[in-house]
Amino acid sequence: MKKLNRRAFSVLLIAFFITVGLFVYVQRFLEDGESWASYFSRLNSLSEGTVTDRNGVLLASFTANDNHYNEDRATRIANYHVTGDFWNRTGTGILTNFSRQLHGYNPVTGMTQTKRISLKLNVDSVLDNKAYAALAERKGAVGIVNYKTGELICMVSSPAIDPVESDPVVPEGAYINRLLSASFTPGSIFKLVTAAAAIECVPTIWQRSFFCEGEAEIAGVLFHCPFEHYTNDFRGALANSCNIAFAQIAISVGQTEMVNHVRSYGFLDSHSLDGIPTAAGSYPLDFVGDPETAWSGIGQSTDLICPYSMLRYVAAIANDGILVEPKLIDDGKPSEQSLLVNPETAKTMQELMRNNVIQTYGDNRFPGLEVCGKTGTAEVGDGTDHAWFTGFLKDPDHPYAFIVFVESGGGGLSVATPIANTVLQAAMRRGTDMEY
Amino acid sequence: MQGDFYSYTITASKAILVLLSVAILIRCLRSMLREKYDLETWAYIRYGKERLPVQHWEVIIGRAPDSDVCIPEREVARTHAVLRRDDLGTWRINDVFSRGGVWVNNIFVDDDGAEVKDGDTLNLNGICVRFTDLSMEKRERLESKRSGVGRRYSPALTLLMLTVFQLFLLLQHSFYADPEYLPDIALAFGSLIVMEWSCFNAMRIINRSGFEIETLAFYLCSLGMSVAASSTPEDLYKQILLTLAGLVLFLLCGWWQRSLHRTASARILVALSALLLLGINVVASDVVLGARNWLEFWGFSFQPSELVKVAYVYVGAATLDRLFRRNNLYVFIAFSAICVMALALIGDFGTALVFFVCFLVISFMRSGSIATIMLAVTGAGLAGFLAVSARPYIAQRFASWGHVWEDIYDKGFQQTRAMSAAAAGGLFGKGAGNGWLKNIFAANTDLVFGVVCEEQGLLIACLMVAAVILLACFAVRSARTGRSAYYGIAACAAMSILLTQVALNVFGSMDILPFTGVTFPFVSRGGSSLLSCWMMMAFLKSADNRREASFAVRPGEKIRSIGDREAIREEREERKAQKKQEKKRRKGAAK
Repeated sequence: MKKLNRRAFSVLLIAFFITVGLFVYVQRFLEDGESWASYFSRLNSLSEGTVTDRNGVLLASFTANDNHYNEDRATRIANYHVTGDFWNRTGTGILTNFSRQLHGYNPVTGMTQTKRISLKLNVDSVLDNKAYAALAERKGAVGIVNYKTGELICMVSSPAIDPVESDPVVPEGAYINRLLSASFTPGSIFKLVTAAAAIECVPTIWQRSFFCEGEAEIAGVLFHCPFEHYTNDFRGALANSCNIAFAQIAISVGQTEMVNHVRSYGFLDSHSLDGIPTAAGSYPLDFVGDPETAWSGIGQSTDLICPYSMLRYVAAIANDGILVEPKLIDDGKPSEQSLLVNPETAKTMQELMRNNVIQTYGDNRFPGLEVCGKTGTAEVGDGTDHAWFTGFLKDPDHPYAFIVFVESGGGGLSVATPIANTVLQAAMRRGTDMEY
Repeated sequence: MQGDFYSYTITASKAILVLLSVAILIRCLRSMLREKYDLETWAYIRYGKERLPVQHWEVIIGRAPDSDVCIPEREVARTHAVLRRDDLGTWRINDVFSRGGVWVNNIFVDDDGAEVKDGDTLNLNGICVRFTDLSMEKRERLESKRSGVGRRYSPALTLLMLTVFQLFLLLQHSFYADPEYLPDIALAFGSLIVMEWSCFNAMRIINRSGFEIETLAFYLCSLGMSVAASSTPEDLYKQILLTLAGLVLFLLCGWWQRSLHRTASARILVALSALLLLGINVVASDVVLGARNWLEFWGFSFQPSELVKVAYVYVGAATLDRLFRRNNLYVFIAFSAICVMALALIGDFGTALVFFVCFLVISFMRSGSIATIMLAVTGAGLAGFLAVSARPYIAQRFASWGHVWEDIYDKGFQQTRAMSAAAAGGLFGKGAGNGWLKNIFAANTDLVFGVVCEEQGLLIACLMVAAVILLACFAVRSARTGRSAYYGIAACAAMSILLTQVALNVFGSMDILPFTGVTFPFVSRGGSSLLSCWMMMAFLKSADNRREASFAVRPGEKIRSIGDREAIREEREERKAQKKQEKKRRKGAAK
């Protein structure tokens, strides 16, 4: 009988498996319960809710019996990454990230709390339509934030799907929000970071001049520029986006200080846009030596930047160094403010970025706008280039910082700036009687 | 104000249900596992100056430390002989692996064993011991010293808590149920309460105080009744009748197993009728969802495999002397193979898996050999692979396992809805009768965990699983104390079946295991399942050897015995020895 006693414990092995399984279940319940519940249970609960844009345009609504999106297909698609969908197919949408508020769900009470909830967003759906149309089905993203108030008035990622369709044709990467959820090689827009670091760490930067013959050997490695930029000072080097000059500047700043600046500007962190996590970037952190420091200083090497963190950075520059944290939801509360960039540096950068437009891109590209900006054409390595354009409007009535990104789109100046102009022109007409 | 009062009542009732569940489970747990278990003493073996107690009806005599009567001499084999007693009090000894042989009063014991009487000398390969039986008076005295059950955790109070629990469930139903069915629901819970208290009082009358198993079973039944009330209130009378029938069967089976002789001799008959049932099932039954496991009788659908489960446990368990005979195990293996194959033919692979786990537990408890188990698992793995490749709908279930959210309209239909509803219930649930999952096909059987999660909340759903685990722990604990290995093995085998069902039901519906459509013991609606669960509880009851605890165990002091005179003499001797010792102690103290 004693023998039996020990053997009897084999039964408890099953009990042990059940206990382990229950733990797995409870963990999944806590992690995913919200999304499980949002599938069928919401339709069987009494909750009702709406999501509208800043002008009260309906983006999504649900009642006990039905789901609705905007009536217009183009609006639905352009705002897909803002709205999300009721099936949680994309990770960043309001419907996914705020299902707790919208459905009244929490793990303790489940969906027993029935509420009527509405969320008003800062996004302008019409502006999103313009931006999505301007991207013209290319992979890319557009973001515009009011740098004084933090309102994120435009957030578009292309391509997107029509959320109404339960089984849509999904273009590659349609579920990724390229503004928030991915990082890309930044190319020349990264020179905005190198320049700020140089202003603070290289006292002689304003006295230096850089000579460019189209290519030069720096730290034993050959660097190219698309044209011969000949002799330039620091200001001219940024305006011409001279790789040879900025490779030397990055070496002068040194890897340690470059890393410090990249980190302090928040490029390596994941940020939270009203609770939606954004992608973190990367920059060579271990010692790499001068050639890599030079490459990473011009936004190549292993640099990866999330478009959203670049938008934060230029917004802080535009606002004299103070970042007003962007907000997607208009909850009536003011945004948090923090000092991201040294105010002196920020003012200098404003002036440099304004000069970029005057000297190189030309104000005629942006009729009626006082744009400060920087283009970028990032070599991806597969023969294509990412097109970038980021900057802000120096206009107290329209304090908008923006970023335009087209994945493998081509040159920053030729591809990204027209998109920026289209969307910014529309943004200027906002709030007037004019159709935009 | 009325609305406020209403919502406060609902919220309060949810909290109270959880608190009561916790209290009921903790009280049962403490009473079943924390209280002291004293073993019965049936005889003594005198070896030199030592007096070794024989504490079961079946004991192993041997040199190994895990022998029940351990004689640490080289001549004695590790497992030398088995000494066992029958209902009438006759003791027999069987040679097991002695090498040197066994003699009773210098007569060699052959394969059939030999009877042993009070005062007989047992010769174990040269080592002589003396066997002493106990008189009735002596045993009565020993029995009265054993600690009983229910002194510290009154079973009446636990049952009262359960009654309150049921009343609160009824209260919740009164808020949400269709008024048309409210009388039926009230009748259902009322009859549950009547059943449990009459059962309790009947036990009181025959002076039995162990009621934890029944309490836990009724606890699970209440949840099952609640699920039935919200899913099929029009059929509630069936559930009431079936619970009553289950209870009656439970009492009958328990009573039947009071006699070990009766139990053991009916095994062949039970095995044959099980095979007959399965045979009928294979030949004539309706195909429901790919599985032909239903028979229809007068409006009651009936699943023969549920009754075969009980028979399987009944046939699989064995007394200790039989454990060491290989042929017995082979016969059992053949029986198992036929059962599992029949189930595979029927297409009920969930149940086949349940049988297989039970087979593993039984064969491990009987043989103790891990190698055998490994062999069985490998064999079954191959068979399972064949089954999966031969039956497309099973392969489909495996394919959708872990990916149910990718196909919410077809293969993941049931699981995704169960998970969604379960999440919507949160920790405390929406209230009995307030869910929506009950309207989904098979919600009250295969998805019952989801329904309980939705209506009663995750906490009670977990406690429901804990209740079954608690019963299993009790079975394991009882295996050691029982009179016969038969009861211990049967209790453990029964619980292995119920546990496997819990695992398949809960994790199948929540996409942690493939979905197999197995019922949750007591809670899933389903007539034959409920009956078989109650019968399984009878196995547990007959293993419960605590003093005056179980109706399925004859009280030790009332079992007649031979050689009473001898015991009286022994008692005198013992008293003398005690007096001597006391004198010595006094002298020592005086000095």
